[in-house]
Formats: sequence, C-alpha cells, structure tokens
Amino acid sequence: MTETAQVVKTAAPVRRREKKRRNVFDSLIGRSALQILAVVGFFLLWEAAVRWGWLSGFLVGQPSGVLRNLIGSIANGSLFADTGYTIFEAILGFAFGTVIGSVIGLALWYSVFVARLVEPFIAAINSVPKIALAPIIILWFGTGLLSKVALAISLTSIVALITAYQAAKDADKDLQALLFSMGASKQQIFKRVIAPSTLPAIIATFRINIGFALVGAVVGEFISSQHGLGHVIYVASSLYDLNTVWAGLFTLMLVGFLFYHLVEVIENWLLPWKQQQGGTQINV
Amino acid sequence: MSSPKVQLRLNGMRKSFPGKEAATQVLDGLTFDIHERDFVSIIGPSGCGKTTVFNIIAGLVDPDDGVMLYRGQEVESLRGRVGYMMQKDLLFPWRTVLDNVLLGLETKGVDPKRALDTAREYLSTFGLSGFENSYPKMLSGGMRQRVALIRTLVLDPDILLLDEPFSALDYQTRLYLEGILMEAVETFHKTVILVTHDIDEAVALSKRVVVLSQRPARVKAVHDIALNEHSPIAARSDPRFSGYFHTLCAELDIQTRKSA
Ligand SMILES: Nc1ncnc2c1ncn2[C@@H]1O[C@H](COP(=O)(O)OP(=O)(O)O)[C@@H](O)[C@H]1O
Ligand SMILES: [Mg+2]
Repeated sequence: MTETAQVVKTAAPVRRREKKRRNVFDSLIGRSALQILAVVGFFLLWEAAVRWGWLSGFLVGQPSGVLRNLIGSIANGSLFADTGYTIFEAILGFAFGTVIGSVIGLALWYSVFVARLVEPFIAAINSVPKIALAPIIILWFGTGLLSKVALAISLTSIVALITAYQAAKDADKDLQALLFSMGASKQQIFKRVIAPSTLPAIIATFRINIGFALVGAVVGEFISSQHGLGHVIYVASSLYDLNTVWAGLFTLMLVGFLFYHLVEVIENWLLPWKQQQGGTQINV
Repeated sequence: MSSPKVQLRLNGMRKSFPGKEAATQVLDGLTFDIHERDFVSIIGPSGCGKTTVFNIIAGLVDPDDGVMLYRGQEVESLRGRVGYMMQKDLLFPWRTVLDNVLLGLETKGVDPKRALDTAREYLSTFGLSGFENSYPKMLSGGMRQRVALIRTLVLDPDILLLDEPFSALDYQTRLYLEGILMEAVETFHKTVILVTHDIDEAVALSKRVVVLSQRPARVKAVHDIALNEHSPIAARSDPRFSGYFHTLCAELDIQTRKSA
C-alpha cells in the first residue's frame, strides 16, 4: 500500500505529447500568401534569367512579353473569343461524354449477361490511346466544332462508363437485399440504391474528365482549326512565338483550375450527405 | 387454453450452398411453426443457418426444397410482407432520417402525403422528432438502430424478422432498445421472430425459444417461456428467468463442446 503511494509521489509526471502545433502559415491567408510568393518569385526569376542572358528568351519566352501579349489579346478581344471557343467545345464534349458514358455504364448493371458479353470490348476500347483517333475523327466530322466535341467525347465517355459500371457493381448488396425484401422491383432498386450510390463515383470522374475534355478540344484544334486556344498555341509555336504559346497555356491552366473548383461546388451541392465530416485527421 | 393458431409454418426446408469441394448443406429439412402474435427467438451456434432461414422467408434466397405456409396458404416467400432488420442498421447514407423511414412506404407506393404523415408520427412516437433532417452518419449507433426499427415498423409488416438487431450495441443501449421493441410489439400487435446469440435476450423477450443444432440446422428443442413480466429489465429478475437461462445454456454448451 505505502509502496504504491510512494511510487505515485516520487514518479515524475508523465508529460503528454504536446499537441501538434500548426504551422504559423497554415491558414487561408497564410497559405495564399506563400502560394502567391512562390508564383511571383518564379516569374521574377524567369524574367531576370532572360534579361541577364542566362536563358534564351527566344526558346523559353519571357514573362513580361507574355503579360504584354495577354493584355494585347484581351484588349482586341481575341483571347476571350478563343478561350470561349475552347471552353464551349470542352463543355459540350464533357457533358455528352459523361452522360453517354454514365448511362451506358449504369445500363450494364441491368443485365449481367450483356455486361459480361461486352466487358472485353470495353477493355479493348479503353486501351486504345484515344488521341490516336484524332486524325480519323477530323476526317469524319470535319474541321469545325463537331470534331473537337467528338474527340472530347471519345476521351471522357469511356472513363465515365467504366467508373459508373464499376460503382454500380460495387453498390452495397445488403441495401439491395433490404429493399428487395420490402418487395422492391429491379427498377426501384436501381433508382433507390444503384443510382444514388454511383453518384459520388461519377462526380469524382468530373475532375478527370474536365481535363480530358480540354485535351480533346485542344488536340483537335492543333490538328485543324481556325479558332481556339489550341489553334493559337499551335500557330504561335510554329512561328517560334513563345510568349503567345505561354499566354495560351496559362489561360488553359486557369480554365482547368476554375473548372476543377466548380466541380467541388457541384459535389457539395449534389452530395450533402458526404459533408459535415468534422475535419478529424489522425494526428501523426 | 386452446391451441394457438399457426401464422407461418416452415416444413422440410432444405438448402445447400455450392462450395469449393462439396456443397454445404445448411438446412436439412427444417420445420417449425410461428403462431399468431408469437414472439419466437431462434438461438443456435453461429453459422448454423439462422440468417439463411430469414433470407428464405424474406424471399432473398430460394430453398432447394420445402414448403412455406402462411395462414394455411402455400406461399413462395413473404417478400414485401416482412419487416427485415439486420445487425447492421443498413440506413441509406444519402437519405436523411425521415427519408430512410419513408423508404419502404415509397417502395410500396403509398401516397406521399400520407406516407410523410405516418413517418413523422412514428418518428415522434419513438422520440426522434427533431432528427428528421439529420443524415445517419451524424447519429449514434443506438439512434441509428432505432431509426432502422422505425423503418421496419412503419411498413406495418405481417411478421418482423430481427436478425441479431442489437448485438452491435452496448448493454445499456440494448436494454433500452429491447424495451422500445417490446412496447412497439404490444402496441402494434406484431409477430416477431428474433435471431439472437444472447440467451439473456431470448429469455427476457420471447414467448418461445427455438434452439437449432449445428449445421445442417434442425430444431433441437422448443421452449415455452412463461414469465410474468415482459419488460426487458423486469423479466430478468423474474424467479424463473435463471432456470430458463441455464436450460438454454446447457443446450447450447453441449453443442459447442462437440464442435470444439
Ligand atoms: N450466399 C451464400 N453462399 C454460400 N454460402 C453461404 C451463403 N449464405 C450462407 N452461407 C453459408 O451457410 C452457412 C449458414 O450461414 P448463416 O445462415 O448466415 O448462419 P448464421 O446466421 O446461423 O450464423 C454458413 O456456413 C455460411 O458460410
Ligand atoms: Mg447470421
């Protein structure tokens, strides 16, 4: 008895591991400041390197030139026209590709027989680098809007299809069983279990497919087009006008970035039950 | 006392599942009766086929052989007429509490307005008003299982199939939910078949206990439980409680020793 009491008295208090302190910059403003600092630093370094002759402005371009170029093309309206054109192609390709792919993928859930039948064909189509189809697609659909949209669809639909089909197959069997025991028809099970449980997976493909749709649009424009950012980049690079190339690339980057965040907004809106997780993270 | 009316009769149920080498015979001529307004607990070693029996009754699994009679009529299954509740609460994560309760009513094609009224009424009866718009992930395990129970009851099923519904809960919550279940069963005059591995629970709640043998399952014994008290806590202090408890323990023990 006394022994234990002594132990308690003499033992040094165990120090609890200190709570992991957050980095001082780990706030929205702090992070933004660091990010902006990195970007500005990068461009300043680049500009300086070209001015002081460490890099050839002819081969890598020059930030001040890119900026001048951007301002000029904003002023004459061509930047908005080209960006709008590319965005339009990409959005059409994305929307049709996602809808077509998801619908086919979900439809395959209805018939195990058909699904097994077409599975190897889907795998085969998926393994073709779709970009290699671009010349044929332009042959078939012409040099206008249609060929770019078709190319974007060919890239996005297969991703949506495979994802939707896999998610439908993985849908919780117990939830389906429960509904079935209540007397639900196959259609009701589809509507109440399969469709809602594939939705998060399909929305997750939005992120990938926004990028793919832009790839389709831009590559289509590379091959033959009179408009669009891909066209601008292609023409400028064949003229060794690197500043215009960068202006086009940065605009594309901005477009992709904005779309990516748009997906997040859509996600929060369509999947309210996925939120409110309370940001608990294991403190390692 | 007149002999009770039979509501559901399983006769000679046979079921085997194809295995890697040989097929597993799970049910080999299982026969038992469920009376009107019965409360039957089924206990037996795990893996003996209790869930399979429920799946057959609910129409999720087709038996190889055997007859099911419902109030004297031969039926294929009671799909659409049972309230099946499993160990997992199986709440739909993308549906709010209210929408989860509405699930079965929607499936049945009940008029949306009436369904909504019924669902709200049940939720308030079971003390869950105010949680209608919460998503399941925000609720405690006991609350989730309570929602699952409401979802089962709101359909007004002919028979409740409860497959170890409380086994994942702590003892306090379990006693509480047992109480809620007993009240609901008395209020709504339900017939219940309860699978449990908790002998305590079986004795406290049931009118009869069916003991199943090792796989392939057959009925080893049926015990009538005659306690004066039927609230879960009072029943446990009934003088006859421990007698039943030990009888059932002994019956299961022999089997576990054999299998060990
Ligand atoms: N769908 C199935 N396919 C193959 N084997 C199954 C299937 N369902 C159950 N079984 C087997 O049947 C036996 C009984 O299972 P189950 O009815 O779940 O037992 P219990 O509920 O009594 O624990 C187990 O050995 C299990 O592996
Ligand atoms: Mg089981």
